[in-house]
Amino acid sequence: MPEGVPATGGYMIAAYVITAVVLLAYTISLYRRSKKL
Amino acid sequence: MADLLRHAWYVARKDLLIEFRSRTAILSAAVFVVLVLVVFNFGRDPTAVAAVDLAPSILWVTFTFAAVLALNRAFQLELENQALDGLLLAPIGRGSIYLGKLIANLLFVVTIETIGVPLLALFFNVRVLPMIGPLAAIIALTTIGFVAVGTLFSAMAVRTRFAELLLPVLLLPFMIPPLIWAVLATSRVLADRPLSEIAGWLKMLAAYDIVFVLLAFLLFPVTVTE
Amino acid sequence: MKLLRVGRWITAVGLLALAGVYVRAFAFTPIERFQGEAQKIYYVHVPSAVTAMIAMGLVGLAGILYLLLKDPRFDRFGEASAEVGTIFSLVMLTTGPMWAKPIWGTWWTWDARLTLTLFLFLLFIGYLVLRGAVTDPGLRARYSAVLGICGIPLLAFIHLSVYLFRTLHPQPIVLKPSAPSLPGSMLITLLLGFGVFFVLYVGFVIQRYALGYLREQLEASGGEVGHA
Repeated sequence: MPEGVPATGGYMIAAYVITAVVLLAYTISLYRRSKKL
Repeated sequence: MADLLRHAWYVARKDLLIEFRSRTAILSAAVFVVLVLVVFNFGRDPTAVAAVDLAPSILWVTFTFAAVLALNRAFQLELENQALDGLLLAPIGRGSIYLGKLIANLLFVVTIETIGVPLLALFFNVRVLPMIGPLAAIIALTTIGFVAVGTLFSAMAVRTRFAELLLPVLLLPFMIPPLIWAVLATSRVLADRPLSEIAGWLKMLAAYDIVFVLLAFLLFPVTVTE
Repeated sequence: MKLLRVGRWITAVGLLALAGVYVRAFAFTPIERFQGEAQKIYYVHVPSAVTAMIAMGLVGLAGILYLLLKDPRFDRFGEASAEVGTIFSLVMLTTGPMWAKPIWGTWWTWDARLTLTLFLFLLFIGYLVLRGAVTDPGLRARYSAVLGICGIPLLAFIHLSVYLFRTLHPQPIVLKPSAPSLPGSMLITLLLGFGVFFVLYVGFVIQRYALGYLREQLEASGGEVGHA
C-alpha cells in the first residue's frame, strides 16, 4: 500500500464477514422454516 | 367542528374526573419526580458537574416517565366493565374520543411538568424564571409530540397481552427524536443562550407535532373498530 | 410451492452476486487514501442501509393500501418486508460501527443519523413484536398497518434532521443535488452493491411472503403452528 494510508484492513474483513454471516443465516432460517411447514 | 371539540372535552373531562378522584397516577408520578431529583443530587459531585449541565437530562427523564405512566392509564380504565364499548356506542365521533384522550393525557403530563420544573429549580438551584417562556414552549411542544403518538399506541396496546410492556417498546422510536431536540434545546435555554439558537429545534418539534397529531387523529378510528 | 421456489432462486442469484461484489470490492476497487481499506465497508453498509429504509417505506405503503382496500395480501407483504428490513438493518448497524471505529475512533456516537438509524431498527423490532402480541389476524393487520404508516413520517424526520443539523456522519456524496462526487470505479462498485441488495431484498421478501401464505393456510385448516 502507498505511503501514509492507514492499515484498517481488519475492520473491513470483520464487516464483510458479519454481513455474509447475517445474510446467510437468514437464508438458512427461511429455508428451515419453510421445511417445517 | 364545534361538536368535535365539545365531545372531545366531555371525554377529557370524564378521564380527568376519574383521575382526580383517585389521584393514584398523579401521586406516583410526583413521587418519581422527587425521587429522581434526590438521587441525581446525591449522585453528582457538585465540584465536578454543574447542576445546569445535568438539569436538562433529569428534566426529560422525569417527564418521559410521567408521559408513559399517563399513557398506560389512558385506556386501562376503559377495560373495566367494557367501558370502551360504552364509549364507542356513544353518539360521538371516533375522532372526538381520540382528541378527548389526548387532552386528558396532555393535562395529566403538563401537571407533572408544572410540579417538576419548580422542584428542579429549587433542588438544583437552577435559574428557570428568566427563560420560562422558551422553556415552557419546548416542554409544551415536546409533550404534545409524545402524547399524540402515545395516545394512539395505547389504544392498540391495551387490547394485546403484555400491554404495559408493549406500549414503551412501540413508543420508543417515536419518542426519541422529540426527546433529542428537547434536551438539546433545554440545555441551551438553561445555559441562557439566545432564543435564535433553539429556533431550529422548536420548528422541528412543531412540525413533528402537527404531523403526528393529524396522523394519529386519522388513524385512531382504525384501532377501535371491530 | 411455486412462489417459494422463485424466491429461493432469486436469493441464490443474489448471494452469488454478493460474492461477486465482495471480490470486486476487495481486489478491483482502489483503496481510499485517507481511510484505508475500511472505507470499503461503504459498499455493503450504504446499500443495506438504503434497502432497510426502503423496506420500511414499503411496509408503510402496504399499511395504507391494506387499510384502504382490506386485501390481506398487503398485510402479508408488510410482514415480509418488515422481517427482511430488520435483517438489513442489522447489517447496517453492525457494519456502521466497524467503519466508525477506525475512522472516528469510536464505535458509536450519538450523532443524528446514527441515533435515528438505531431506531429504524427499533421500529422494525416494534413492528415484529406488535405482530407477535396480537392473535386475531384482522386486528393484527390493522395494528401493523397503523404502526407502519406512522413509521414513514418518522423516517422523513430522520432524513431532514441529517440535512439540517451538520453532524459527524459523512454528508451525502451520492444522493445529493449536485452530481455524485465518487470516483468512477468506486461508484460502480457501490452501484453493484445496491443491485445485489435489491435482488436479495426481492428474493427474501418473496420467500417470506410465501412462508406467511403457507402458514395462514395451515392455521386456517386448524393445524398447530409455532410462531417463528
